[in-house]
Amino acid sequence: MLKQLINEIRAGGTLETSILAARLGTTPQLVEAMLEHLQRSGLIEAYVNCGDGCLGCGLQDACRKTPGTIRLWQSK
Amino acid sequence: MSNCHSTSAPSQPVSLRVRERIPLLALAGQPNVGKSTLFNFLTGLNQHVGNWPGKTVERREGSFSINGCEYGIVDLPGTYSLTANSPEEVITREFILRERPDLVIAIVNAANLERSLYLVAELISLDTPLAVILNMMDVARQEGFRIEPEVLEAALGVPVIPMTATHATGMQAFYQAVQEILDGGRIFTPRLPEIRADHRATLDEILNHIHGYVPSPYPENWVALKLLEGDTEITHLLQNNLPPEKWEAVYDLLRQHDDALLAIASGRYEWIGRLVRAAVVHPRIGQISLTKQLDRWAVHPFWGLVILAGILGLVFWLTFTIGSPVQGWLDAQIVGGLAGLANQLLAEAPFWIRSLIVDGVIGGVGAVMTFLPIMIIFFAVFGLLEDMGYMARAAFVMDNFMHIMGLHGKSFLPLFLGFGCNVPAILGTRVIDSKPARFLTILIAPLVPCTARIAVVAFLAPVFFGSNAIFVSWGLVLASMFTLVLSGALLNRVIFKGQRSAFIMEMPLYHVPDSRTIGLLIWQRSMSFLKKAGTTILGMALVIWALSMLPNGDLNESYLVQFGKWIEPVGRWMGFDWRLTVALITSFPAKENAVATLGVLFGSSPEAALAQTLTSTFSTASALAFLVVTMLFIPCMATVAVIRQETNSWGWTLLNILLLLVISIAAGAGVYHLALFIGL
Repeated sequence: MLKQLINEIRAGGTLETSILAARLGTTPQLVEAMLEHLQRSGLIEAYVNCGDGCLGCGLQDACRKTPGTIRLWQSK
Repeated sequence: MSNCHSTSAPSQPVSLRVRERIPLLALAGQPNVGKSTLFNFLTGLNQHVGNWPGKTVERREGSFSINGCEYGIVDLPGTYSLTANSPEEVITREFILRERPDLVIAIVNAANLERSLYLVAELISLDTPLAVILNMMDVARQEGFRIEPEVLEAALGVPVIPMTATHATGMQAFYQAVQEILDGGRIFTPRLPEIRADHRATLDEILNHIHGYVPSPYPENWVALKLLEGDTEITHLLQNNLPPEKWEAVYDLLRQHDDALLAIASGRYEWIGRLVRAAVVHPRIGQISLTKQLDRWAVHPFWGLVILAGILGLVFWLTFTIGSPVQGWLDAQIVGGLAGLANQLLAEAPFWIRSLIVDGVIGGVGAVMTFLPIMIIFFAVFGLLEDMGYMARAAFVMDNFMHIMGLHGKSFLPLFLGFGCNVPAILGTRVIDSKPARFLTILIAPLVPCTARIAVVAFLAPVFFGSNAIFVSWGLVLASMFTLVLSGALLNRVIFKGQRSAFIMEMPLYHVPDSRTIGLLIWQRSMSFLKKAGTTILGMALVIWALSMLPNGDLNESYLVQFGKWIEPVGRWMGFDWRLTVALITSFPAKENAVATLGVLFGSSPEAALAQTLTSTFSTASALAFLVVTMLFIPCMATVAVIRQETNSWGWTLLNILLLLVISIAAGAGVYHLALFIGL
């Protein structure tokens, strides 16, 4: 299942977790868990919006308290 | 305290070594699942905090009693797995394998079992007794999950105790379970995750090779599995303990099956999937189908864009219907009133003090502070859309659109962030591997209209265009996007050459927005805005005021006017006088300064609010050109600093400023002359 997930990421394009979950025959929550697992294993990398600092932005404090839900994953 | 624990042999397959000393429990779990909450509740003041030997990771241990029986407990560091990826993971597994606690208690987040159960999949494979606490049952219920602990217990083959540690719910069941388990009163047969048949054969082969060579306390089965998973510590351990010919045979097997890491992890996730399917009921079928129905339109390649454009229009409509009148009232009554009051109170004060307060502070910062109603509407609408789950759809739709235009997906996400602020947009370009592609994305990122620019437009558009402000603002945002997409399409053709990357989005279910969440967001962002007004904008307003006063207190002979007149010829291409040109330049520290500067230059008076003065001073063509240039002008100081930091090049930074300067002046001049041509 993880191999298939990596292949989907390598294929590229815009995907949505529920569509991906349907392709893998599982749930969106499990897809999210697997994506995080692959990230921890160093096989893919993720970019989360407003992640490592919005230095200089007047609204940075407020933004950091509302973490984004948009993530971009790519295979290494 | 006397020992009150039974010493009879346990009846379960996993041997429980009930000791003469007090039984030792170990709390294991991923970060943020409530381990520490439970530990603190159990131990109270009977806890000791230190460090794990040789590590900087905190070690917490303590004791607690159940019905007069004492138990020791160790709070293990939060870990996601038992592979040696981090010091926390090494500490956890070494403790369990070497100290052999009487019971390992795995705490999982009931609201997210898919994430939490991976560690359980590893712990269950060890021969240490295991119990699972389903913590955060209240959150799971709130999110609509119905979990059947008894089904999970049967599927796992180990005790499962539901709990809400923050409310101390489920504690009695926990105490009872601990006593029963340690007294051998509950029989369990753990059901382990399976691995694929071909890897099972390899695992058996490895087991044959390492049999008799694995040092204590490591179980051979576990070591063989960790070898297949590519665990570096275990690999070194075996390399040092196996005879060379045995190691060579093992190494060959590992090399041939380098995909085993994924196969073993996949096996665990399939196991988790089965457990969740069996024990968790997702009753929100109605909500899911509602989400699906709404998404047919919201993420449709065409209608999704129409809806997005409509929402943008609605935001401006709300701003101009509610925000602008309030803003106008604040400008006329509060700022104007304050200016009048200050003039009266400071009638006897030296001229420069009166001017500093009335023109510098009230005129500059006061004008920007009147933005607040407009900003609150932005924050409220975007907070509402975010909380109800729409913003992720907006990003998805925009990404699809940008793909059609040829813009690379990797550029999209950073650019999307730019709607909030260009600074994270620039930082976000780190996701792009290719250096030239990243630098070119940085070049176009400041074209995304940020909140500050939109707020300036939202302030000035109704001043100049009255009831047509909504169409003008809407058109300005779309024109900015069009410029951006054109630049992006060019960028893609030249740099990315069709390269693709995955853009996987987590689409939340639509749900009724929570007023408290939105209220908090509005409050936090408003406070941040006011802080900015009281620092950066106040500072710049005072600088502008000082330049307008020096050297002799006469505005017409001031440095500001001299500077403004010097650059006025450039401004004239776009229909600006020296004041509009200076206002534009002073937007460099913060975009809102454009309004603050106009406030200082035109002053504040109780007779005429800034808006009225501006309307009577500038032509429609000049006003339109000013708004266009504001949307496309050079990035603010914070953005420029980040561009310098991210490109590590003054050359690229200056090129960026120059590019936007050229684009904005060209667009401003074009729009001004076109507007004159059509008679505006």
